[in-house]
Amino acid sequence: MKKAISLALAGAMTATLLAGCGGAASSSAATSEAASTAESTAASTEEATASEAHEINTTDPIELTISWWGGDSRHEAYQKALEAFQAKYPNIKVSATYGAWSGWEEAQSTALAANQGADVMQVNWNWLYQYSPTGEKFVDLRDYSDVIDLTQWTDAAKDACIVADSLQAVPISMTGRIFYWNMNTFKEAGIEEVPTTYDDLIAAGKAFQEKLGDDYYPLAIGQYDRMILMTFYLESKYGKAWVENNECQYTEEEIVDGLNFIQSLEDNHVIPTRPSMIAAGFDSIDKSQEWIDGKYAGIFEWDSSANKYQGALADNSGFTVGEEIKFGDKANGGFSKVSMGMAITTSCQHPVEAAALIDFLWNGEGAAIMGSECGIPASAAGLAAAQAADAVKPLVLEANTKVLAFVDMPLDPYFESSKLKDTTDGVYTDVFDGYSYGEYTAEEAAEILLDGVSEVLAAV
Amino acid sequence: MSAPATKTYRRTPFKRWCDENTGLFFLIPWILGFLIFKAYPFASSLFYSFTDMNFFKGISQYGIMNYVEIFTNRKTVSSLLTTVKYAFMTVPLKLVFALFIAYILNFKIKFVNLFRTVYYIPSILGGSVAIAVLWRALFKDTGVVNTILGIFGIAGPDWLADKGWALFVICLLRVWQFGSAMVLFLAALKGVPADLYEAATIDGASKTRQFFSITVPMITPVIFYNLVTQIAQAFQEFNGPYIITQGGPRNATTLVSLLVYNYAFKVNEMGMACALAWVMFVAVALLTIIAFSSQKHWVYYAD
Amino acid sequence: MKISTAHKIGRFFQYFVLILVGIIMIYPLVWMVGATFKTNAEIFSGIGFITKNPTLQGYIDAVTQNYGGDISIWKAFVNTYSFVLPKVIFTVISSVIAAYGFSRFQFKGRDFLFGIMISTLFLPQVVLNVPQYLMYNTFGWINSPLYLPLWVPTLFATETYFVYQLVQFMRSIPHDLDEAAAIDGCGPVKILYKIICPMLSPSLVACALFQFMWSCNDYMGPLLYVQTPSKYPMSIFVKLSMDADNGFNWNRILALSLISIIPQLVVFFCAQDAFIDGISAGAVKG
Repeated sequence: MKKAISLALAGAMTATLLAGCGGAASSSAATSEAASTAESTAASTEEATASEAHEINTTDPIELTISWWGGDSRHEAYQKALEAFQAKYPNIKVSATYGAWSGWEEAQSTALAANQGADVMQVNWNWLYQYSPTGEKFVDLRDYSDVIDLTQWTDAAKDACIVADSLQAVPISMTGRIFYWNMNTFKEAGIEEVPTTYDDLIAAGKAFQEKLGDDYYPLAIGQYDRMILMTFYLESKYGKAWVENNECQYTEEEIVDGLNFIQSLEDNHVIPTRPSMIAAGFDSIDKSQEWIDGKYAGIFEWDSSANKYQGALADNSGFTVGEEIKFGDKANGGFSKVSMGMAITTSCQHPVEAAALIDFLWNGEGAAIMGSECGIPASAAGLAAAQAADAVKPLVLEANTKVLAFVDMPLDPYFESSKLKDTTDGVYTDVFDGYSYGEYTAEEAAEILLDGVSEVLAAV
Repeated sequence: MSAPATKTYRRTPFKRWCDENTGLFFLIPWILGFLIFKAYPFASSLFYSFTDMNFFKGISQYGIMNYVEIFTNRKTVSSLLTTVKYAFMTVPLKLVFALFIAYILNFKIKFVNLFRTVYYIPSILGGSVAIAVLWRALFKDTGVVNTILGIFGIAGPDWLADKGWALFVICLLRVWQFGSAMVLFLAALKGVPADLYEAATIDGASKTRQFFSITVPMITPVIFYNLVTQIAQAFQEFNGPYIITQGGPRNATTLVSLLVYNYAFKVNEMGMACALAWVMFVAVALLTIIAFSSQKHWVYYAD
Repeated sequence: MKISTAHKIGRFFQYFVLILVGIIMIYPLVWMVGATFKTNAEIFSGIGFITKNPTLQGYIDAVTQNYGGDISIWKAFVNTYSFVLPKVIFTVISSVIAAYGFSRFQFKGRDFLFGIMISTLFLPQVVLNVPQYLMYNTFGWINSPLYLPLWVPTLFATETYFVYQLVQFMRSIPHDLDEAAAIDGCGPVKILYKIICPMLSPSLVACALFQFMWSCNDYMGPLLYVQTPSKYPMSIFVKLSMDADNGFNWNRILALSLISIIPQLVVFFCAQDAFIDGISAGAVKG
């Protein structure tokens, strides 16, 4: 037994070492400079070498690994792009790991914890903050600025990926939320125009209920969608960002107002209640019979999701990119965010070649193949290449353009922290489901939301 | 044990030790496997349970805070209670049902192979994606079950959205997969000597009487085995809620193992995950000890 | 006369229950078969399984889908069985050895070890995942082309369910058989494979069968330890096909799921006689 315990302790130590950082949580840029000495030494050597020009090895055989998640068409695009890359650099062999999103983050975070991640990794934006708060999991891409042309990204886009004073990823695309409507159903309800105001929404709810029946709704939004829509509403009405300087800018009363706004949509038959959505038993709205048949005639989704929702419809002739709706008069409200990024893990043995791969995929010939598979490329050169190759889906581009032209508020990176966003266990789910189930009053729900957000921000 | 008793020459102490512990040699692989693949990871999880281990932030605090949190947090307490409720609903239902069907199958039934296969099919499907799809199609508000109930004029509930019914739906999934328990019962039933029944029939005992005073006592070892393993499975149930309800609605189906999974892999709070797993482990271990010590009062072994 | 009527009613009742339960059991599968021929829009339109406009597209898609050539349904089958088969074989061998040690010998500490063995039934796998992952990582087993993390542990009788099941079965094999063999000069090893194993073969088949079923369905293990798509087993492949970006083709997913369980159905159908009748022939009490 004694042996078992000592073994266990040894194991625990190894695990901690493997996990990289043994110190306390310290992720803000200010404290990260004081990260463990080993890392800062490593970092400074890297900086020293950064001044020397990096040369891509084109002679010795090199093996790289890359990982991404997505659907079939994305897998195929990546595969083609990788083939092209390997044709360009015959000495480099890239092996890929890819899969479906379900379970993907769990597997990748476990791999990252053990420093077993792929060399080049497609990352969700919040992973940078969640898994590499001190910058020890992903390399600073600025050290390879002679290989990756970083000038192709706007400073704002790059800043979003700077965590612990390290550019841990380049943004693949920027994305934001917008309405999509199934106009076929709207026309059945006697509405010809896409809704552009709050009153339009309320009118549509009424028309749907009266003309089509109780099962028909102009809009369907899940728990996380509700949080985002409420943020759009609040920011527009009060003219301040949801979170700024690591603090929620809204009082409980203001949040109650936001919750009442969501409630008013439910009360006026604009959106189905959460219980009725849960009772319908679907994973996501695009997989629901209600959406497929046109009973749910609208969604509030990422611009990059347009094709998915359009493709799911039994009759997609009425699928339309809507207009953003301005709910207040202080600001437009709403935000765009880095949809995903591409990073090099610190366990990568060939960072220069990995950097070349990233440049190829998002600035170079690869971008023409990737097209809009991962959203509208955030890199200027990448977008140009993709458009020249006619690989950008017009629907996605339209939605993306509308979103980026409208939104005017910054987004706190911890908005998407798993603790808040998780669709089973997160605070947003608790608040909006509990509220819709009638278990919480607006005041209670607002308090829970505020507490949850503060707790996450306090842990930063 | 292999040394015949007639030989009287002195054995070396080592040889004697070997003879007395022959059984131990057969356990060497198991002992190794236990130490490497079970004891070590589990002991390290016990260690983590007293820390705030996070794989990306490391450890900054030691103590019993996770255990305090578990017994004071609404979410964890309700998850523990839900799990107990689930186990007490599923295990008896499943065993009674499995035994009932096995009992009928044990009569001279035509097409018994076909029936067995049909009954076993749900167990094969296990936690596969198809089941998730299917189950939600069956129990959605306008799904198959409610349509059938509608034919009989019954307005079915919103199975997946109602907190009470949702747990029942998860429970039904397991009861539906009663195949392996049934197969073991059936094997045991076939082993009950026919002459016992004949004697009872001559004595005029009714079928019901025979079932409870002959059949059940004779198969108690299998009942016991099924009971223990089903309890173990029920307390570790993960697939059902994971694929069908994701723990919802309103955490009504967040069984402990799902919560452990969420803590470990979704928010990376290994410390909490481990502590929660240990609480459950201790609870179930106590249950098992009770079950094993009750064994001598009701389980009948032939040897 | 009276008895025969009662008997007939009893018979009728038996078949009635069996068929009713059978329908409940099989209905979902039948629905699934029907649904594989339906289009998305029709799938939930009713509870029937006959479709007006049957389409084979689901099957065609399921069989041809290959994610850029790295993985196809056939490869996924091969991958699945290339670790499931060793797993099954090693589980049976190692479990029977351990069960033999537990059930046939008296030695100091046996009951203690048995208690520990039973308690491992209750170790939640979820919490072992991370420490195990770290350990396999130090062994260099992650993404092993031979699927080492998935089957090596079974060499060491780590599947407690089966050890326990075999202990229970072994306890009812009469001791006089091995005593007689011992007098004939058989060592304990020889007794195991000459006497015990043949007597136990039905329950060995049962163990093999259950392990086969469970391993084929395992999702979390491969998800953590298999990272190369060309090595993905069936369970991951099915999940992969669910996350298609371009709409959700139910018929394809269901066709794929259906194809994926066919081998399991066949194996069960063929193996059931071997162990159910065999077990009763051995007059095993559990």
